Amino acid sequence: MKVSLFATCLTNAFYPEVDLTMAKILKHLGHTVDVPEGQVCCGQIAFNSGYVDDAREVARTLIDSFERSEVVVGPSGSCIAMIHHYYPTLFEKEPVYLKKAEDLIHKSYEFTQFVVDVLNKPDLGAHYKAKATYHPSCHATRLLGIGEAPLKLLQHVKGLELLPLPEAQLCCGFGGTFSVKMPKISEAMVAEKAEHVLTSGADILLGLDMGCLMNISGYLEKINKPVKTMHIIQLLGEGMKS
Amino acid sequence: MTMYNLTTDQRVDKALADNFLRQATRRATDRLRNNKYKASDELGNWEEWRNAGETIRKHVIANLDFYLQQLIEQMEKRGVHVHLAKTPADAVGIVRNIVREHDAKSVLKSKSMISEEIHLNHALEEDGAAVVETDLGEYIIQIAGEPPSHIIVPAMHKTRQQVADLFEPIAGHALSSDTPTLTRFVRIQMREQFLRGDIGITGCNFAVANTGSIVMVTNEGNGRMVSTLPRVQITLMGMERIVPSFRELDIMLNLLARSATGQRLSSYTTILTPPKKSADSDGPEEYHLVILDHNRSEILGDKLFRTALNCIRCGACFNVCPVYRQLGGHAYGSVYSGPIGSVITPLLEKDWKKWGHLPYFSSLCGACTEGCPVRIPLHDLLVKLRMRKTQSGHTPQVEQQIFKAYRYLFTREKTLRRALRLGAHLQRPFVRNHRITGGPAPLSNWTKSRTLPMVAPKPFMQIWADLNNKR
Amino acid sequence: MTNTTEFINHLASKLGRPTPTETPPPVEISVPQYRLSNTEERASIFLQNWQALGGKGAIVKSDNDMLQCLKEWFGDLPVTWFKDNPQALIAWDMLPSIAESAFSTLNWPLTRYTQSSLDPRDRYSIAAHAELGITGSDLGIALSGTIVMNSDPLRGRAVSLLPPRHLAFIETTKIRNNLFEVLEEISALGTPPAAIEMISGPSRTSDIEMDLSIGVHGPIEVYVVVTDN
Repeated sequence: MKVSLFATCLTNAFYPEVDLTMAKILKHLGHTVDVPEGQVCCGQIAFNSGYVDDAREVARTLIDSFERSEVVVGPSGSCIAMIHHYYPTLFEKEPVYLKKAEDLIHKSYEFTQFVVDVLNKPDLGAHYKAKATYHPSCHATRLLGIGEAPLKLLQHVKGLELLPLPEAQLCCGFGGTFSVKMPKISEAMVAEKAEHVLTSGADILLGLDMGCLMNISGYLEKINKPVKTMHIIQLLGEGMKS
Repeated sequence: MTMYNLTTDQRVDKALADNFLRQATRRATDRLRNNKYKASDELGNWEEWRNAGETIRKHVIANLDFYLQQLIEQMEKRGVHVHLAKTPADAVGIVRNIVREHDAKSVLKSKSMISEEIHLNHALEEDGAAVVETDLGEYIIQIAGEPPSHIIVPAMHKTRQQVADLFEPIAGHALSSDTPTLTRFVRIQMREQFLRGDIGITGCNFAVANTGSIVMVTNEGNGRMVSTLPRVQITLMGMERIVPSFRELDIMLNLLARSATGQRLSSYTTILTPPKKSADSDGPEEYHLVILDHNRSEILGDKLFRTALNCIRCGACFNVCPVYRQLGGHAYGSVYSGPIGSVITPLLEKDWKKWGHLPYFSSLCGACTEGCPVRIPLHDLLVKLRMRKTQSGHTPQVEQQIFKAYRYLFTREKTLRRALRLGAHLQRPFVRNHRITGGPAPLSNWTKSRTLPMVAPKPFMQIWADLNNKR
Repeated sequence: MTNTTEFINHLASKLGRPTPTETPPPVEISVPQYRLSNTEERASIFLQNWQALGGKGAIVKSDNDMLQCLKEWFGDLPVTWFKDNPQALIAWDMLPSIAESAFSTLNWPLTRYTQSSLDPRDRYSIAAHAELGITGSDLGIALSGTIVMNSDPLRGRAVSLLPPRHLAFIETTKIRNNLFEVLEEISALGTPPAAIEMISGPSRTSDIEMDLSIGVHGPIEVYVVVTDN
C-alpha cells in the first residue's frame, strides 16, 4: 500500500522523531511511504477557538496536499478527529471542497487504528521491558471511537507491563488553546492527571497524542517528577530496534 | 462580598483555593456518575434509550408550538390559569401579582431552576412575603444567600459544619453537625411552614401536552408537600419542557432518574393534572401555570443551537466534566453551571460581556456529549458559541491577530519551516535542560505551570526532504 | 402578559412554518423493556426492590398472615400511640377488605382522613400528628419497587405524605413490570386524576455532604403489604 504521512504541526515542530519513526514502522510493514508537500495542520487550533474562517483555509491546504493520496495516516487521534468530525461542517457551503473533505475522511486514519484495524498487524515484534500506563486521549476515544487498537499494540510488546491508569477517562487539561486561555483550570486538571499517573506506579506514560503528552510531561517536569512520556509510536520504534 | 461581584478570574482562583469544595465536588460527581453507570447498564441497551430520548426531544422541539398550544388548551379547559412570560421580568411580575392578590404571607417553594433563572425570591421578599425553599439543598443555599453549585445537589459545596452554623440562628441554639440531627431539625422546622403555607411554587420536570399534566420528581417529598397542601399553586416551567403523551413520559422519566442520581425512579414522581376535582379533599383549588420564554424562542429559531433545548436538566454532564470537577459551580458565575450552563447561559442572557467566558470553560474533551442521555452535542455547541462570539467581534484584538498569523503561516509550509528555524534560535534564552521554561505571553500562561519541549532544530518536513534529496 | 395566539405564532415563525393543525404522528420508540414472566415473580421482585430502597414489605396470603404481619411490624405501638392520640392511625375511607378486617380484629381504630374535619388545614394537622398513614394502591412497579396511587375524593393525598410512617396495601395482580405499562394503563382511563403519586421508598436526601439521610420531609418509615388471593 502507498501510505501518505500526515505529519501534524505539533510533531513536525517539536517531535519530528515521532513522524520519522512512524515512517519507519510503516516501511517495515512493507508499505511505500510518502510525505506530500504543502501539508501543515488540520486547523483544529483555530476551529476550536472559534476562528472558523482561518481554520477553513488551513484545512483547505491540508485537503489539497493529500488530494492524490491513497491512504493518509497521522500520529494523532485529535487531528484525525478534527478531519472526521468537523470538516463536513467546515465545508458545508462549498460542495467541491465538501466532496474532497469526504474523500479525505474516508482515507485517513490515526496510526494505531490503521495498523490494528486496517492492516491487522497488532504484533510488531517489539520488545520493551518497562512498567507503563496508557492515557486514552479524549478525541481519539470519544470522537474517533478508538478503544482497543492502541491497547492491542501494547499488549503485544514483549516485556511491557501495562498498569491501569486511575480515572483514565479524565481529560488531561490540554485542550489546545484551552491550556493558555484558561491556564489555571488547565493546570488543576493536569495536576490531577499527573497525580493519577504517579499512583499508577508506571515508569512510562504512553499515549497516542503528543499534545496531551506534552502537557502531562511538561507538568511532571515542572514539579520534578519526571515520569518518562512516550508516544506509542516511539515505544514501538525503540522496541523494534532490538 | 458575594460571588456575583467577582471577576471570572477571581471566581476561578477562589474555587481552586477551596480544598473542601474541590474534594466535595469530586466526591459528589464520582458518586452520581457511578450510580448512573449502574442504573444505565441494567436497562440492557442504554444507547437505545438514549436514541429514544433524543428522538422524542427533537420531535417535541420541532413541534413545540403545537404541543404548547395543546398543553395550554388542556390546562385552560379545566380552569388552570395559564400565563405566558416573554421575559424573566414578565414572569416575576406574574408571580408577584398572584402573591399580592392572595395577600399571601407565606410562599413555599420546591426546587425550580426557572425561579433561579428569573431571580424570583428576592422580588417576592421585597413585597413582604416569606419565601421558603423546601428542598434541603435549596434551603441551605437560600440561608447562605448563594446560587446552586450543582443542578441536582445545590449545596454540594457546603460542609456539614457550615450547614449547622447556618441553621443555628434559626434554631436558636447550636446544632450538632451530624446528618440525622440536621435533617431532623429541617423536618420539624419545615413542617410548621408546610402546614401554614399560603401559596406553593413548584418547578416542572415535564409537562404532558395531551393530558395537560405537570410531572415533578423529588426525593425528599417536598414537591408533594408544596403541590398538596397550599390552597394556591404556581408552577413555573421553561417552555421547552414538554412531552407529547404518557407514552414518551416513560422514556424521559427513566432517562432523568437514572442519569441524575442513578435511581430507577426518584422517590416521588408526581403527575399533577390540576386543579383538584371539587370533591377531592387535598390539592390546590387554584392553579397557575407560568410558561417562560426568555430567549428560548430565539434558540428555537437558531438551527445551530436548537439542540440545546433538548436538555432535561439531569446534571449528567456536570458529573463527567473535568472542568466542573475542578471548580464546582460557582466559578461559572451563572445560575446554570456545568457544560449545559456554559451552553445555555450565553444563549438565554445574550450578553457576551458578562457570559462570554463560559464557552471557554471546557477543554472540549467531549465527556459531556458522551454522558448526555438525550445526546446533545454539548462540546460542539461550545465550539459554535466560540464561533459566534468571534464572528460578532467580541474576542480580543490580540487573539484575532494571532489567528491571522496562524492562517498565514499554516497555509505556507515552506514559510513555516523558516519561521520554525527562527523559533529554534529565539527560544534559546528560555531553555533550561533542553526544555523551554519561560517566555512572553501567552506562552507564559503555559510555562508558569509546565515546561515546553524545544522547537526541534529541523522540523520533520525538512528532515524528510533532506533524506529524500540525498537518495 | 402575552396572549396565546401571539406566543404560539411567534414560535411557529421561529420554526419557519405554520403551526400544525393536527397532532404530529408520534415518534417510533423501540427500547428493551424490563419484563418478568408471571404475577408471582413480579410480586417477589417488587418486594425485593422495595426493601432495597429501605422499605419494609411482606406478601400475605390469608387473614391470619395479615394479622401476624401487622403485629410483627407494629407490636404494641398503636396501643401506646392511642393513649396520647386517638387519631394516631389515619386512613383512606376504604381499604382492601382484608386490611379492614385485620384492623378491626386488632382493635386498632382507624380515623378516616376525609371525614376527620371539614377544614383542610385541620385535616392536614390531624394527618401530620398521626403516627401512621394507611392507604391502598392502584398499581405497583416491580422494576423500581414503586407504588402508584391515584387521587380520589374518598382518599386524600396527605395520608401517604404527612405522617412519619406510611403503610400501603397492594394486590399482587396490580403489580406491573415497568413504568411504561403503568402509564399505558392510566392513559387508557382517559383524563388522569388530579394527582398520580408514585412512591419508591421513604423520603431521602443526600444534600448534606452526599450523606444519605432518610425522612427529611415525607414518611421516614414505609411499609407495604402485598396481598395474594
